[in-house]
Amino acid sequence: MTPTPPATPLLSVSALRKSFRGTPVLKDVYLDVAKGEVVALIGPSGCGKSTLLRCLTWLDPPDDGFILIDGQPFGRALVGDTVRRQGRREIDRLRPKIGMVFQQLHLWPHLSALENVVRPQVVVLKRPREEAVARAQDLLAGLGLGGLEDRFPYALSGGQKQRAAIARALAMDPALMLFDEPTSALDPELVGGVLQLLRRLAGEGMTMVVVTHEIGFAAHVADRIAFMDGGRIVEDGPARQVMEAPADPRLAAFLDLIRSGRPAA
Amino acid sequence: MTFQFATLLSVMPALSQAALVNLRLAAIIVVLAVLGGTLLTILRAMKIRPVNAAIAVLISFIRGTPLLIQIFLFFYVAPAFGLDLGPETAGVTAIALNSSIFITEMMRGGLQSIPPGQIEAGCALALPRRVIWRSIVLPQLFRRILPALVGEITIVVKGTALLSVITVVDVLRTAQQIASSTYRPFETLVGAALCFLAINLAVMAAGRLIESRGADARS
Amino acid sequence: MTFDPAILADYWPLFLQGAWLTVRICAVAFIVGYSIGILVALAALVPSRIVRALVGAYVGLLRSVPFIIILFLVYYGLPFAGIRFPAYVTGTLALALFASAYYAEIVRGAILSLPRGQFESARTVGMSPLQAMRHVVFPQILRGLVPPSVNMTLTMIKESAVLSSITVAELTYQSLVVQGNTFAPFEAFAAVTLIYWAITVVVARLAAILEARTGTAEREDVERNALAASFLTLEAPKRR
Repeated sequence: MTPTPPATPLLSVSALRKSFRGTPVLKDVYLDVAKGEVVALIGPSGCGKSTLLRCLTWLDPPDDGFILIDGQPFGRALVGDTVRRQGRREIDRLRPKIGMVFQQLHLWPHLSALENVVRPQVVVLKRPREEAVARAQDLLAGLGLGGLEDRFPYALSGGQKQRAAIARALAMDPALMLFDEPTSALDPELVGGVLQLLRRLAGEGMTMVVVTHEIGFAAHVADRIAFMDGGRIVEDGPARQVMEAPADPRLAAFLDLIRSGRPAA
Repeated sequence: MTFQFATLLSVMPALSQAALVNLRLAAIIVVLAVLGGTLLTILRAMKIRPVNAAIAVLISFIRGTPLLIQIFLFFYVAPAFGLDLGPETAGVTAIALNSSIFITEMMRGGLQSIPPGQIEAGCALALPRRVIWRSIVLPQLFRRILPALVGEITIVVKGTALLSVITVVDVLRTAQQIASSTYRPFETLVGAALCFLAINLAVMAAGRLIESRGADARS
Repeated sequence: MTFDPAILADYWPLFLQGAWLTVRICAVAFIVGYSIGILVALAALVPSRIVRALVGAYVGLLRSVPFIIILFLVYYGLPFAGIRFPAYVTGTLALALFASAYYAEIVRGAILSLPRGQFESARTVGMSPLQAMRHVVFPQILRGLVPPSVNMTLTMIKESAVLSSITVAELTYQSLVVQGNTFAPFEAFAAVTLIYWAITVVVARLAAILEARTGTAEREDVERNALAASFLTLEAPKRR
C-alpha cells in the first residue's frame, strides 16, 4: 500500500526511538517525505506525534535511529559500521534547514514582529542586517502583515502572531517546515485562514510535515497521511486512499471518532 | 602543602563540642527573635502612629547596617550607658534584635496573604482582638512564613560565628585557638565549616519535614 | 554618657578612607561575584549531571557556611595553595565568591521562570545555547533580576564589615581603630553606623532609578495596556 518514495527523499527517518524514563514513546518510526510533499501526521493524543516533531528538530535527542535531511545526516551519522553522534555545532548548523512552528508559537515578546524575523537571520545565518530586514519585510508583507512590522507580539492577534512565527521560520530558507497543531491554539473562525495559508505554501512547493487534528486539512491539502498510534506510524499512504479506505482498524476507528465530531484529543 | 585529613579528623571532637555553643546560642536567639518578631508585628498592627514611626526607623536601621556593627554596639557601646552584658548576652541580644526585625517584616508579607474574610468572621463572632490574633491569625501566619523562617534560622546559625569576634568561645574561636598551636589553620577551618554545614543541613531538613507534615495535615 | 564631636573632627579622614575602601571593595566584588554567578547559573542548566552536582555543592556550601568562615578559609587557603595576595584582595575575592552563590541562584531562578519554549524556539532556528541566552532569554529576565540582585548586593555590603577581621582597612576596621585609640566606642560606632546606613540608602536609591529605567524598556507590553498595568505594575516599595 505504501507508495515507493522517490530516489532521494528530502526527509528520511528510520528506526527512530525515544523513551522518557524507560517509557517508550517512539518505537521504530520510519518516515520518508519527498521534496514538495505535504504530509499530515494524525493520531490520537499521546501517540507520539509531538515527540516525533521534537525529535526531528533534535530538541529531544532521539535515543536511536537516523534522520537524513536532503541526504545529510542530522544528529547521528552512520560512518562505515559505526554510529557517530554529531556535536552540538554540527546539529546547530543543520537546524535552520528545518523550520518549526510551535503550537504555542513562542514568538519572542521583547522583540517587534520584524525583529523576530530579522534577529535569527543575522545571528545564525550571518546575513547583513539590510538584507535580513528586506527579506523579513517581504515575508511579512506576503503573509499579510505589511504595516504591522513594528508591533510587538502582544499587540498582534492570534492569527497575526501565527503568521509572524511562520515568517520567522521561513526567513531561514528551510528545506522542510514542521507545524505542530497549527490550528489548535486559534479561535475557530481563524482556522480556515490558516489552512488556506498552508495550502498556499504547499502550492509554492514547500515540503511540510503537519501534525493536525484538522481532518479537512488532511483530506484536501496533504498529499499523504501518516497515522501514528502507540509510538509507531501504523498506516501511511495517499491522503484520499487513507481517508476513504483505511486498512488499519485503529485508523478506521480514529477516523470515525473524528467524523462523529467528538474531539480527538 | 597538602591537605592533612588526619589533622581534620583530630580537631573534629573539640570543634563539635564547641559547635554545641553555637547551637545553644542559636536556639536561644531563635526563640527570642520569634517572640520579639511576633510582638513587634502585633504592636505594628495596633497602628499607633508614633510607635510605628519609631519601629520604621528601627527597621531601616537594622536592615541598613551590618550585623557585626550591631553586635559591636551591644558589646562596646552599651556598657558606656551602664548596660554591661558580657560578650554572650550582648551577642545574643544583638542577633535576636536583628532577627526579630527580619521576622516582623516576613510576617508583614505573610499577613497580606491571609483572606480578610476570616478576620471579619472573627469580628462578627465578637471575638476579642487577643483571641483573633491567637486563634485565627498567628497559626496561619506561622504556617505561611515557615519556609522563610527556616531560611532566617540558618542565617541566625551563621550569625553566631560572628560572636567569636567579641571573644565568645564558639566553633570559630575554638578553631582559631587550635590553629594557633598546630599551625594547620586551613584544615581546622574546614572542620569549622563542616560544623556549620551539618547544623544548617539539619535545620533545612527539619524545616522540610515540618512543612510536609503541615501539608499532610491540611489535605 | 556624652557625645564628643571632637573625636569625629579628629578622625573623619580615617572614616572617609574606610568608607571609600568599602565602596571600592564592594564594587569589585559585585562585578566579579555577578560574573561568577552568571557562569554558575548557566552551568546549573547544562544536561551533565556531574556539572550540576558540582554547581549544587558550590552554591550549597557557600550558602550554609558563615561568611566569616569562608573569609578565613580563603585567607588561609590561598597561601596553602602557594598564592599570596594583600589582605584586601583576599577579602574582595572571598566576598565575591560568597555573593556569587546567591547571585547564581537569583539568575538561575529567573531563567527557569521563563517559559522553556522561548529558549527552544531560539535553538530550533539554529542559535547556539549562548546565543539563545544573549538574544532571547537575558533581555526578558533582566527586569526581574534587579530587585533580588539589589537586595543581595545590600547584604553583601553589610557582610563586607567582616573583612575587618583579616585587617582589611575598610570602614569597620577604621571604627575599631578609632575605638582603640580614643576609648570612645559610642562616637566611633555611631559614626560608622550612619555611614553604612548612608551607603545602603544610596545604593537602594540608585537601584530604584535603574529599575524604573529597565521597566520602560522591557515591559512596554504591560505599560501600553492600561488594564494589564492595573494588575501587573505595582508601585515600587520604598526599600529603606
